[in-house]
Amino acid sequence: MSLTNGTTGHIVSSSSGLSTNLHISSEETCLKKAPFVNQSSGVLRATAFRDYMKENNTISWCTDSLSDFLDYPENIPIQSSNVQIMPSEDVSKPNDWQDWADQLITEDDGVTPNWNEILVDTAVADQTPKMEYHVGKSSGTSLSLQVNSLVPASPGEVCTPVTPSPSSCGSQSKPRMRWTPELHEAFVEAVNKLGGSERATPKGVLKLMKVEGLTIYHVKSHLQKYRTARYKPEPSAEGASEKKPTPTQDLSSLDLKTSSEITEALRLQVEVQKRLHEQLEIQKNLQMRIEEQGRYLQMIFEKQCKFGIDAFQPASSTQEKSETELTNEISSSPARVKTESGPIIVMSPSSEKQEEERDPSESQPSKRAKLNESSSTESS
Amino acid sequence: MKFGKRLKQHVEETLPGWRDMYLNYKDLKKLVRLISSSLEYGKSEAEFVYLLNNEIDKFNVFFMEQEEDFIIRHKELQQRIKRVNESEPSSQEEYEEEMARIRKDIVDFHGEMVLLVNYSNINYTGMAKILKKYDKRTGGLLRLPFIQKVLEQPFFTTELVSKLVKECETIIDELFPTTVVAVEMKEAAITMVGEGIFKNTVAALMTMKEIRKGSSTQSHFSLPALSLPDTELIRSFQLNSPIPTI
Repeated sequence: MSLTNGTTGHIVSSSSGLSTNLHISSEETCLKKAPFVNQSSGVLRATAFRDYMKENNTISWCTDSLSDFLDYPENIPIQSSNVQIMPSEDVSKPNDWQDWADQLITEDDGVTPNWNEILVDTAVADQTPKMEYHVGKSSGTSLSLQVNSLVPASPGEVCTPVTPSPSSCGSQSKPRMRWTPELHEAFVEAVNKLGGSERATPKGVLKLMKVEGLTIYHVKSHLQKYRTARYKPEPSAEGASEKKPTPTQDLSSLDLKTSSEITEALRLQVEVQKRLHEQLEIQKNLQMRIEEQGRYLQMIFEKQCKFGIDAFQPASSTQEKSETELTNEISSSPARVKTESGPIIVMSPSSEKQEEERDPSESQPSKRAKLNESSSTESS
Repeated sequence: MKFGKRLKQHVEETLPGWRDMYLNYKDLKKLVRLISSSLEYGKSEAEFVYLLNNEIDKFNVFFMEQEEDFIIRHKELQQRIKRVNESEPSSQEEYEEEMARIRKDIVDFHGEMVLLVNYSNINYTGMAKILKKYDKRTGGLLRLPFIQKVLEQPFFTTELVSKLVKECETIIDELFPTTVVAVEMKEAAITMVGEGIFKNTVAALMTMKEIRKGSSTQSHFSLPALSLPDTELIRSFQLNSPIPTI
């Protein structure tokens, strides 16, 4: 677990369902079985959706809405410095993403979702700040229902690859790497030591960098990007409508733009962009706070219910626990909690118990029951 | 379907390579409607979650790709500036030209990064909305736990990109001379909005404002309306632009 000082990276596993691998060909055969069983390629995943629709008698809108959903343009402007996984019949790029994707898609045929993973998985969040994989459980549940796990963006995090479980096959050998400036610095240093971007080889760079968890595939693709960036510097407005000529030639036919006018336009552009960024940050913070509040309320709600239930139970330990927990929560609550003024709902013991146990197969109906109850008793 | 419309509009206006990377809001919404009438609740929810996870993967992959690119380009721009300043300039004019190119590039780069943050945000918003719809229509309790997961996803943790944006701003401040600007200058500048990244960022800003206009389901948990002091100015960009914004 040793890292060269200051270099970090984050390896994130993605679940098998790389939706960007949805290849659509018009002559696909439909599968007449449960939609997401035994999916072994992106093609089937697409048909899964379609089949699900068909099974529910929505053939009429199926075709055109699916064409919206699953339709990818044939000619995608793939810029070499901007490798995107785009499904296209023309993709003959022997880039690593294809390999990765194929490997990630090999999976078992578990149908039952692993609710423990999807729902409250506080274990993940509470662990020491390490990069983690969220791998398929060895109990054989569907790999496709994993959500990517926590990847903190701050540098200085240790990369610790988690041993893959059997059901995820070879997918964990090429997890997605999240690069950081520090890691890139180390990369550049290594490249320079090896004589520059043209002469450096992925293997050599990998060896020099000595970063745990970094694979040759990561280095290879990064090197490719790096080379492109150096020798095709900043195509202005990359990916935008069309490549723009240099500012001094950036004229409309009627008026000549002086360089100071251009500079002024750029200045204005920066202001707008700054404004957008500012608003985005504010919005994100608001959104996070909203969820935090929601989470807090939910917790309080559950504790109160539990507290109410435990009042009936002879077990004093649980009662104490819930009381102290409740007190702790209240004292450590986030500032400015706007509590909804609604009645406290005491659930029936059976449904509450089920909730607490988080029994996968039962949680859905009981949750539903809970909500139905609450909606009938709650005034708002 | 206000968000849906806004999203569609945004996707149409957005950078070409990005268009397929957004949330399939419309189809997910249709699925939710379908599920609410479906009897097989458990299976439907599993499938819905499956699709959402696919979407999340899509975002993550794209986002991290872009992020990686940005890291590389950021460094390269800095190197480029250094090279220009340190090397012997062949002529003052050439120096100026190169600096002008660098200025344009760095401003566009800044814009692109901001657009990625915007991408992240729009998709998150869409996710939150679709989950809310799901809960509402099916009586499920999927939203709260699921959104917690989403909050931790790479595509939502945009801190690094934001950091790069701020660093970029610092560099830009250094590159751009601080001078008093004449009114005519400003007006000339406005006409250049219809081009490239600038057009995208203006559009994104306006879209954001539209999305956050009061909705029928506004509550304590909704985002307040966006108030921009220069809304009119920014809106005028879109109107004055010589190139029609589609």
